[in-house]
Amino acid sequence: MASIIKLLQYAKAPLHLRWELYQGSSVYEFPDGWNKSNLTLWQKFKSVIIDVAFLREYYHRNRRLWIFLYLFHVGLYLLILWHAWLFLRALTLPIESTSIWGLLWGHIATALTFIGGTGILIKRIVNEDLKVYYPSIHYVKWIFLLLTLIGAFYAVHIHFNAHMPALLKYVKEQVTFQNLEHKLHPAAAPASHVLFASIWLIYFPFSHIMKLYFRYYHHLRWDDVPNVRGSSIEKRVKELLDQPVTWSAPHIQPGKRWREVVSEISHHGEGQGQ
Amino acid sequence: MKKERARINDISRKTEEPLSNVLAQDLIPLPFTCDDAIPIKPLTEEQKNRIESSLDGISALGIPKPKNKEKEKKLIESFLQGLKKLLSQKDNWTFWQPLIQSLESCVRCQTCNDACPIYVSTGKQEIYRPTYRGEILRRIINKYLKKGGKSLAKLKGEDIELNWTTVARLAELAYRCTMCRRCAQWCPLGSDNGLITREIRKLFSQEMGIAPKEIHESGTVQHLKLGASTGITPKAFENIVQFMEDEIEDKTGKRTKIPVDKEGADILLLHNSGEYLTWIENPVAFAIIFEAAGLSWTLSSELYGYEATNYGVWYDDIQFARIALKQIEVARKLKVKKIAAGEGGDAHKELVVIADRILIDEMNFPRESFLPLLADLVYNEKLKLDPSKNNFPVTLHDPCNVVRLMGIVEPQRRILKKICPQFKEMEPHGVENYCCGGGSGFAIMSQMNFPDWKIHISGRMKLKQILDAFQDVLDPSIKKYVCAPCSNCKGQIRDLFRHYNIGEKYGIRYGGLVELVVNAMVDIEKPFIEWE
Repeated sequence: MASIIKLLQYAKAPLHLRWELYQGSSVYEFPDGWNKSNLTLWQKFKSVIIDVAFLREYYHRNRRLWIFLYLFHVGLYLLILWHAWLFLRALTLPIESTSIWGLLWGHIATALTFIGGTGILIKRIVNEDLKVYYPSIHYVKWIFLLLTLIGAFYAVHIHFNAHMPALLKYVKEQVTFQNLEHKLHPAAAPASHVLFASIWLIYFPFSHIMKLYFRYYHHLRWDDVPNVRGSSIEKRVKELLDQPVTWSAPHIQPGKRWREVVSEISHHGEGQGQ
Repeated sequence: MKKERARINDISRKTEEPLSNVLAQDLIPLPFTCDDAIPIKPLTEEQKNRIESSLDGISALGIPKPKNKEKEKKLIESFLQGLKKLLSQKDNWTFWQPLIQSLESCVRCQTCNDACPIYVSTGKQEIYRPTYRGEILRRIINKYLKKGGKSLAKLKGEDIELNWTTVARLAELAYRCTMCRRCAQWCPLGSDNGLITREIRKLFSQEMGIAPKEIHESGTVQHLKLGASTGITPKAFENIVQFMEDEIEDKTGKRTKIPVDKEGADILLLHNSGEYLTWIENPVAFAIIFEAAGLSWTLSSELYGYEATNYGVWYDDIQFARIALKQIEVARKLKVKKIAAGEGGDAHKELVVIADRILIDEMNFPRESFLPLLADLVYNEKLKLDPSKNNFPVTLHDPCNVVRLMGIVEPQRRILKKICPQFKEMEPHGVENYCCGGGSGFAIMSQMNFPDWKIHISGRMKLKQILDAFQDVLDPSIKKYVCAPCSNCKGQIRDLFRHYNIGEKYGIRYGGLVELVVNAMVDIEKPFIEWE
């Protein structure tokens, strides 16, 4: 739900002036490029996939941090997929017959996330640049995350004795409300993991990866859609030019509408700030 | 002795002592010995007593010290009012979304740090770290504009005091970044510290009326009042055109009538008016090329029609929009088919790209760079060119606005490769280029000791790059050419060369791209480029 609210918030933001950056040649290299757009939907999609899967920008710009970030993110993606698999598997197939791969998948994903997370935390503690403005609350976040991973490993490996049928049975009972006794008096290890993981689910919409598309691809890389006459962009521009101007400096007359203010010439400004 | 690094909270420290003093030994070395013992001359005692300079001992803005506490309080209140507006969708629709996203998305990985030529050139002074001003702004917002901010700030260890010293230092800090946006290009998460810089400038200008005199009073205000930021009047422009025709006759032996105010022409060519005053050879070269190619084109002698710059883009949305509309109006009245921006980086980005979302109906007018057109003329042999006439070492300075901010990377290279046999790239180049150091208004800012700062600090990396590019041919008897197709960049390179006597010492001169094209034209016997 929080993710949807966030998405709507971004979607409802007013149109802004163009301020994009280019990583290479654009349509402006060609005559009449002003009314063209640069990338196709497929090109954009491919770019997102490469960026999200490989953290391409970090790889190119900050290799030493990328190593741990990459391990962490690969681990995290595998963990998310593993949880999805766990739910599907528990609900759709007999739980008694499972192969070793399911358990291995979970453990490898946890280990990668843990190694990556620990590496990032250590770098954040020892590297002068990385700690200089890093908010202290984020150290708490990393420690909490590592504890969540340790808790998960404990629950699977110790509590369920690395026995996948037992784990799947637990998941199935939880999801289908088959065992109320377990719901009301849950075992500490899996219950605390569920609690910790739920907190992470609530955090997810506010995480950086979630905002990536809107802040990065949207306004920096791909905001090159031209304002063509009669287009929806032009319609939105017209609405915005009807907004009142509220700024108070002497060369601006607050209270008037944008289209009025920018059509006038103000000669105010002599001695500004002096 | 190791210098103590400034910290974030130092911005509020009530002291006259600058947070940072850049010393000669802090600066990255240049490829030659130079007299940089005291790189930046200190302000006089009178200036120090009168104006704010406690950031780094430099004054770009000349902000007078408030006379009393009451005045200080009012200024702080005004700053907070402006900050609220900056963060409001309605008040700041023009840049709200990218600003909020830039403020929210920084993960403090500092990947951007090494991308900043100013931070690197000064031996990594904390106050010039590209994330420094954004972090200050973020902490002020969190503490003073968010619910429970004051308690949370203490709890999070991000307490920052908003006093007049903070405000004055932040204003100056907004003019220690050229907004080249190399840091934004580097940021893996797309946080744009160049934009944050611009938005801080905007707050000061649009709410508090604080902006550098050269950009506002003698810049956009003069532009709107007189028709050009240089103050050229239509009458003076007529004389300039006549002079250009004389120059063409002198260079080519043929009298050419430069089209002015030609209704219905295909192209309205807009130059920075500074070109007419300082580098007349540039508009002259354009005229020679366009006439030789038989293009349907014109200049305009109307108010606003002979000035492509728009200083508003550096600091003020309202001034920016006012000027952009005036420029478009000229083209519309002339009934030309499109506007082509000449050799001015800012003009390229502001007119072709940024202005796009304030133009509606008949004002939504075709605009483009001159580069695709010129590349077509050169590459498709619409001009008779002899590359051997340009047989000297040439390197290319990429204006940030043209490459990184607009994606025009190849046409200028294709032209140079075709007409300059000794063309050599400087490193890095293209979308990864370094700013000339005069971006975002610095090239024209000349108050107090700011010129020292832009020579020794913001321009240092570019000078190093130029000299590195010519390192094998530094002998002054070998004539060399830095091609800088941007009026603003040329201004900065001129000042750098003048200060370090680069022309005499190393035989390097600078100029535009079209001059090289004309120099290679077969039909013109005399060399167009003059080396003395």
